[in-house]
Amino acid sequence: MPQPIPIAGVHHTARPTWKLAETVRFYRDLLGLPLVHAISARGWGTEDHADFLHFFFDAGAGATIAFFYYIGTEPPEFTLARDDYRFRATHTAWRVETREQLLECRAKVEAAGIPLKHQIRHEVIESIYFDDPNGYLVEVTWQVRPFTSLDVDDARRTIEAGIALEAAARTGGARFGAIEQVWQAKARVLEQDMERA
Amino acid sequence: MPKILVLDVPEFRPLVEEARARTGYTVTGPRLGYWRIEAPGVLEFRRKALGFKPAVWHGALTGGLVGRIERFDNEEMRIVDGSAP
Repeated sequence: MPQPIPIAGVHHTARPTWKLAETVRFYRDLLGLPLVHAISARGWGTEDHADFLHFFFDAGAGATIAFFYYIGTEPPEFTLARDDYRFRATHTAWRVETREQLLECRAKVEAAGIPLKHQIRHEVIESIYFDDPNGYLVEVTWQVRPFTSLDVDDARRTIEAGIALEAAARTGGARFGAIEQVWQAKARVLEQDMERA
Repeated sequence: MPKILVLDVPEFRPLVEEARARTGYTVTGPRLGYWRIEAPGVLEFRRKALGFKPAVWHGALTGGLVGRIERFDNEEMRIVDGSAP
């Protein structure tokens, strides 16, 4: 294996916005993320690029979340929020440290008049969900327990089973169409490993 | 005999406890970090009896499955012998 790239963490993620004031109010004033950097520039580069503002909020732990505001443009269709789980798959989940903080966050969101979409207990996290002014899904989550070596090993087994099924389907094997296949493939490998152990 | 493998972590522990309390269900392990639950003919669980919220319920077989899902809806799962069609 080659040496991995020496990543030190997330610097920023970025998405476009056509709602400058609302985005600043939401991220700076509601979520409490300080505005720490703003680029204002003429469009440049090889594409017919609009003039823009590119601004960054401190997201904690050395990370920022950034937006591009393209001056004088309308949002292209492919950026428009839609009610579809595949659109919502692109989202940012913000960490709080306790369940009390999660509930406090929920109360503040609702007090701000923002509709709460869900509160969901997952395997190791509990989360609330709501939209930012751009229609981007925002999650706030509390992790119930730390990940352990068991989680790491289990994640590898799950994803390796998925990769094997994907590879088989790509080369003319069985269609990869249901999670049951992953669970069965994972069990086959796991039982072999148990016999050897 | 249908069988499920359950990762030995707190969020899935109700499966193990429920199976242990049942006549005819065998629970062994944990081995390599997984409990093994099996029963002759059929394995059945109900979400509410396990106290599982929907998100965890729908991933409850993530540890592994030896058998075929005959029924798995929002409230009940039924696993029988066999492989996926």
